[in-house]
Parts: sequence; C-alpha cells; structure tokens
Amino acid sequence: MREAVVSFKDFSFKYKHQQEATLHDINLDIYRGEKILILGPSGCGKSTLANCINGLIPFSYPGTITGSLTVAGLQTQQSSLFELSKHVGTVQQDSDAQFVGLSVGEDIAFSLENQSMPRSEMLPIVDEAARIVDMERFLTHPPFDLSGGQKQKVALAGILHDAEEILLFDEPLASLDPAMGMTAVDLIDKIHKESGKTIIIIEHRLEDVLYRHVDRILLINDGRIVKDCTPDEMLYSGVLKIYGVREPLYIAALENAGVRFEEGEHLDDIEKIDIDRYRDAVLSEFARSKPYTVGEKGKVVVEVENVDFQYNPDHKVLENVSLTIREGEKLAIVGKNGAGKSTLAKLLCGIIRPISGTIRINGENYLSMSIKEIGQLIGYVMQNPNQMLVKDMIMDEITLALQLNEFPEELIKQRAEETLKMTGLYPMRNWPVSALSYGQKKRVTIASILALQPDVIILDEPTAGQDYRHYTEIMRFLDDLNKNYGKTIVFITHDMHLAIEYTDRALVFADGKLIADDFVYKVLSDKDIIERANLKETSLVLLARKVGLDPEEFIRHFIEREREERENG
Amino acid sequence: MDSFGKRLFIALTPGKTFLDRLQGKTKIRLFFAFILILVATWDMRILFPILIISIIGLISIKPEWKTVRGLTIFTLLMNLFNLFLIWVVSPNYGYSQVGATTVLVRFTETYILSAETLWYFLVRLTKFMATFFVSLTFIQCITPSEMAAGLYGVGIPYKISTVVSLAFRYIPEIARDFNEIKISMQARGLELDSRKSSLITRLKQNVLILVPLIIVSFDRVGNIADAMDLRGYGRMKTRTYYAEHELTKGDRIINIVNVLLYAGFIAIVVVRIVSHREFLIWAPWVK
Repeated sequence: MREAVVSFKDFSFKYKHQQEATLHDINLDIYRGEKILILGPSGCGKSTLANCINGLIPFSYPGTITGSLTVAGLQTQQSSLFELSKHVGTVQQDSDAQFVGLSVGEDIAFSLENQSMPRSEMLPIVDEAARIVDMERFLTHPPFDLSGGQKQKVALAGILHDAEEILLFDEPLASLDPAMGMTAVDLIDKIHKESGKTIIIIEHRLEDVLYRHVDRILLINDGRIVKDCTPDEMLYSGVLKIYGVREPLYIAALENAGVRFEEGEHLDDIEKIDIDRYRDAVLSEFARSKPYTVGEKGKVVVEVENVDFQYNPDHKVLENVSLTIREGEKLAIVGKNGAGKSTLAKLLCGIIRPISGTIRINGENYLSMSIKEIGQLIGYVMQNPNQMLVKDMIMDEITLALQLNEFPEELIKQRAEETLKMTGLYPMRNWPVSALSYGQKKRVTIASILALQPDVIILDEPTAGQDYRHYTEIMRFLDDLNKNYGKTIVFITHDMHLAIEYTDRALVFADGKLIADDFVYKVLSDKDIIERANLKETSLVLLARKVGLDPEEFIRHFIEREREERENG
Repeated sequence: MDSFGKRLFIALTPGKTFLDRLQGKTKIRLFFAFILILVATWDMRILFPILIISIIGLISIKPEWKTVRGLTIFTLLMNLFNLFLIWVVSPNYGYSQVGATTVLVRFTETYILSAETLWYFLVRLTKFMATFFVSLTFIQCITPSEMAAGLYGVGIPYKISTVVSLAFRYIPEIARDFNEIKISMQARGLELDSRKSSLITRLKQNVLILVPLIIVSFDRVGNIADAMDLRGYGRMKTRTYYAEHELTKGDRIINIVNVLLYAGFIAIVVVRIVSHREFLIWAPWVK
C-alpha cells in the first residue's frame, strides 16, 4: 500500500476578499516518491493549490477552507507555516525575488540560519547542496552576477538540504531560455531519482517538462481537477487543447497528419513512439505542402549598419551588427540571456546610441533625433505591464503619450478613439486599469504605445508567464495589427513556439554577435546555431528525421499549416 | 566585480587582509570603540595616534585608490573650507577653546592669526579626518552580510539586522526598475532634459515614473516575504549566520584591544567629568 504524503479530501478554498471559491471539491492523493505535473490555464487555481500545500494558504493568504488537507501527516489548518516548511520545500516562479541572500552560499544557507543551526554544521550541508546543483564554484558570488537559470539552481539548492520530503516547483521554467529550461528539468529529474523525494511541478510548458519522465499529470480548470492520469493517457485523450494547454509539437504534427493513436501507446516521449507506423500518413500529408513563395518585400524602415555597443571599455555588448527591418514584417530576436537582445532593443529606441556604426530610420540617420522623436517611429512595450501603467483610467493611459508629446486637443481625441477601436478596448475605455486582468493590461500597454502610431513596435517577452489561451489571444491581436494596419512587429523572446508560429524571420544573437538572420524554420533546423544561442532543437526536427524528411522543409510545412488553421478559425 | 558594489564603496565579497578576515561582530565593536573615543575627546595626544592608526588600517585593507583618493580629497577640502569660514567669522576663536592668545601674524586690528587658533584647527581637522578614515576603513572591510550578522552579534534583534542586508540586496533591483520605467516613459514622450522643460514640469513628470515603481516594488516585497516565510524566517527567537565565521586568532587579539579601547573611553569620560577643565582643548604650551 503506497503512502499518501499529500491528501486532499473534499477540499475547497475561497480567498478572504473574493466572492467565489478558487478551488472546488478537490480530492487528491499524492504518494511518497511520486513525480507529478500540475497543468492548467492561468487563473485555473493551480498556484492556489500549490500554496495550500506549502502552507502560504491559509497562513499568509487568509481565506475559508472546507474539507481537509493533510501534508506529511499534518492537518494543514491546525499546523503552521513553519511546521509545514520543514516538510515542503518550494521553488517559486520569480527566481530573483526569492534570492534573499547576498551571496550564493548565504542564500542556500538561509533556511538553516533560520533554524539557528551552528555554522560549523551548516557549511558541509551548503557545500553538498551547491555541489548537487553544480554551483559549488559560485558560493561567494553575489546575485547580481548570476543568470536566471543560476538563481533557479540556487533556489533549488536552498530547499534540498532539509529533511523536506516534498519539493514543490511553481512555474520553474517561466524565466529561463530553452536550453536552461532543459537543464532545470534534467536537474529536477536527477534529484527525484537520487533522493526519492516527492516532486510536484506546476507548469504550462508541457513539452518542456516531458523532456524527462513524469509519473502523473493533473489537469486543472476553473478550480477543479478535470483529469488525473498518466502523461500517455493525457496525450491520448486529446483534452489538452480544450483547456488551453499546448500539446507537444510532435503530437500536434502527427495529429495534423491524421494519425489516430492507440490506447496505451507511449506518447510522452517521441523516442518511444513507433514512428514507422505513421510514416506514410506523415509523408502523404507533407506531400500536400505548397511550394514556398516569397512574399512581397515592404520598404526598409530600419537599417542597422556595423553597429558596436559597449557599456565599459573591456566588454563589447554588441559587435558589428547589421540588419534591416522592413515594413509589415514580423520578426523575432532570440538568443540566450545576456546575448545582447535587450541592448539592441534599447539601441533601436535611441535610449542608448551606438559607439560606432549607424542606425537609420526611414532613411534618416537617427543620431539627429531625440528619444521622444524616435518614440513616434518605434514603440517599445516592456515585459511587465505594471512597469508601464501610470494612470487610473484606460482612456488616460492611452492619451498620456499624446499629451506628453503636446499634440493638439483635437488630434488627441481622434487618435485615442482610433487606437481604442484598433485594440478592441473601446467598450472599456472608461474602466479603471486596476480592474483588468494581466492580459488586458498588456493590451492597454500596447495601445498606449500605438496611440503615437509608430511604424515599428518592439515587444519584450510578450507572452512570458501566460498560458496558451492568453498567449494566443495576445498573439492574434498582434497579428491583426500587423495584417490590417501594416505595423512592423519585433518580438524579443526565448519562447520558440512563439517564434515558430508568429514570425517570419529570426535574428539570433550569441555573445553580442548576430549569428543568424533567416527564416525561423531554417534557424531551428541548424544544430550549430541552436547550440550557440542556447535554443532547443524542437521535436519537429527529430520527427522529420525519423520519417526521413528534410527538417527545414518539415518545419516550414508545419508552420504554414498551423497558420492556415488559425486563419480559418 | 560588480558595478553596484564599487559605486557605493562597499564590498559584497569578503577580502583577504587581516581586518577583512575578522568577524562582523568584532569589526562592529572595533568601529564603535574608535567612534566613541573620537566623539569623547579633543585631546591631540589621543587623536593623533588614532589618525595614524586609522590611516594604517585603511592602507592595510588595500582599498581601491581611485575611489578612496577622490573621497579623501573632497572631505579634506570641505573641512579646510569650514575652518577658513570659522576663522573669517571669529579670528580669535582659539582663545575660547584653548584659553590663551599667542599672536603669530596680525593682518588688521581684528584679523589675527594666533597659535591657539591654528592648534584648535589642527585638532579639529585631526578629529574629523580620523573619524572619516575609521568609517571608510570600516565600510570598506565589512560586507553587508557581515554587518547584519555583526549587528545581531552585538545584541540587536535579527529582524532589524535583516533589514540591513535586504536593503543592500534589493536597492540595486529597485534602481534597475526605476531606470527601465524611466526609459519607457521617455520613449512615450516624457522630457527629462532640463533644457527643454521647466523644473516644475520635470518634477510632475517624475511622479509618472514613481507610480509604476511603487506598484512593481510592492509586488516584489510580497514575493520576498513569501520566499522568506517558506524558508522558515522568523521561526525561532535566535538565528545563526552563514556569513559570520568562527572566532579566529585575529578576533581574539582585537577583542582584547576592544576591551582596552572601551576602558579607555570610560576613562576619558570620567576624567572629563572629574577634572572640570575651564577650556576644552589641551595645548602643549598652555599651562
């Protein structure tokens, strides 16, 4: 008989200040040593579920609980946050905020310090934990020197050393580039195998988590568990799409080819699928692909020529970068963290200027323009909408840029109206900004930039931390701006799905150099570029190879087919 | 190593010299001992040795000369200017402090330069520069974590010392947020150039940066609080510190020095109370 370490019985939870319950009738047993993935769209209650397990609910976020929850033999309501923290270790989503120490060693030691453990006992434990996550050479490094992935590792090390039998990961991949994400998934798997601890992962990037074996997947929607089964059964059932969770690409590609999987088939790993059986289906579907036609090229809007940039003399952030951006294009700037992506965006907006080389906007050298003037040609949307919203009302937020630029009253009214209609915010124009969801806020920030009617809009990680449904909503909206209003859209992202589905061209950066400027499908089938830019080979490449097709052509076909489907509804 | 640390003259990673390797607790005790004595006395026989010791201390930790030099010159000039102003306002100020007037140069009837005034200025300058060097040495040789650990070590509640280390941890993040928000507002048309908009408009527009900064910072504070709760912060009445290493030989030596220094401080205070000197400052030639 397996022993349940987490046991929900008829459990419901309602936050103190909310009208309706966030979790309903949860009945769930998680057994010792299991590795579980909790999936579901944003706002479905999966983070709430996690916070119930680690004790933040009800101790930090009060509310009403009905039913019971037992964690490691403790009734959570009768226990305390501290008591629970001995049994449950949590790695949170924000790898930056949870790094509370001033060095790697200190942060790993934080919970030991809080237990008043003598330093002499602490040292070997910290060293061992750092060794497991491969950070032992960084013990004295301050957080300011670390990448997001490294901070995540430190956070993991910080909960490893306790007697904690349950490790909880709340969206661990959210801020990592694809290669770092793979490392993180691998590391979690290694710890699971070596320590036998119970692992609970909350994520919506299903394919990335399935890179390593998972015992069971829970699908949550509207605060209820809608499916609780093995990954194979989950993929076979086909319910993921209904609940706005993205299927792995190889599954989508096989389904496109009309493949019907068999019950009990191993689907969670492409290596285990008997591709031979589906080869004909894939080939015949591929045969229907249309020959590629190069679309008409718009006029050049931005020209970057041999640009160098550096913050301090001994380290070039960008080196000899040349590129052009044309009207009506959609392109992705990809590459690992710190490769120079955001520096390029800042250069384009004129916030920083090149050390050497030239940038021309509409043919004019932009050195003669002020940031304000450039802002009317190139708009920049930051990752976190909260960093951009300053006004209480949507209408005020949208007119702000126009007022700052001292447009005449008449024109402000007219532009604001146009923008509101363009972005579908017109019915909400008099709403307070605080009443909006994250996705709606994002839309308002884009609208506030659009009001100036720039030719180019640069968006920094537009889909970070959002589930497939919201993500699709935002991307469709941007697609629409691109198609119907001819706006050039530039994404800075490490989300390969986004790059594949919504852009035509990818600019790949590695160590300050532009290493590729090509069609997305070409970039993603080039092993060398993938490695240098910390990207990840998509499962489509593997599938193509197994079937015996050219990966490049296969990805192109897949992209086109997905787009067609999207356009047809 | 990191630009933030350099800018604030603080080290985030511990150094390797004798003073660097002391415990945070020892460093704090030593610092306060010197500061108390420096506040308590105007006696050149005590001040001058401390000045020399503080300069030796500073040299011993091998600081970055570029930053130290600039700051030292600035402090020195400010002090000299201050003294000059005192002289301009009351040329025979030395009399009130030392109790005699030995004229060295007479410019006009009132404007004289006396040996006592010069002596007073020299004492005052020594006192201030010693305080400056002691503080500079202290700040340069202690990391924020050692400071937190040290404060806890000398009896300050750990919740307060946590505030110290958290401030150092998150101030640069807030500065970065501020910069990013400023940039995005500039691109939307915010004019921060002093040549193009008036001070009032610029102040008003700075509020536009503060609103999102406050909201983003509050989000961050919430996350930090959760992270600390989840790792058992505040679970117990006591706490230990990873950054506070075990007592070394150096610590034992300095702790003896500390005891002597505090005894010296008490002696100075007692002597001042008992002796009832009419004038504040001792000068070798004034009886």
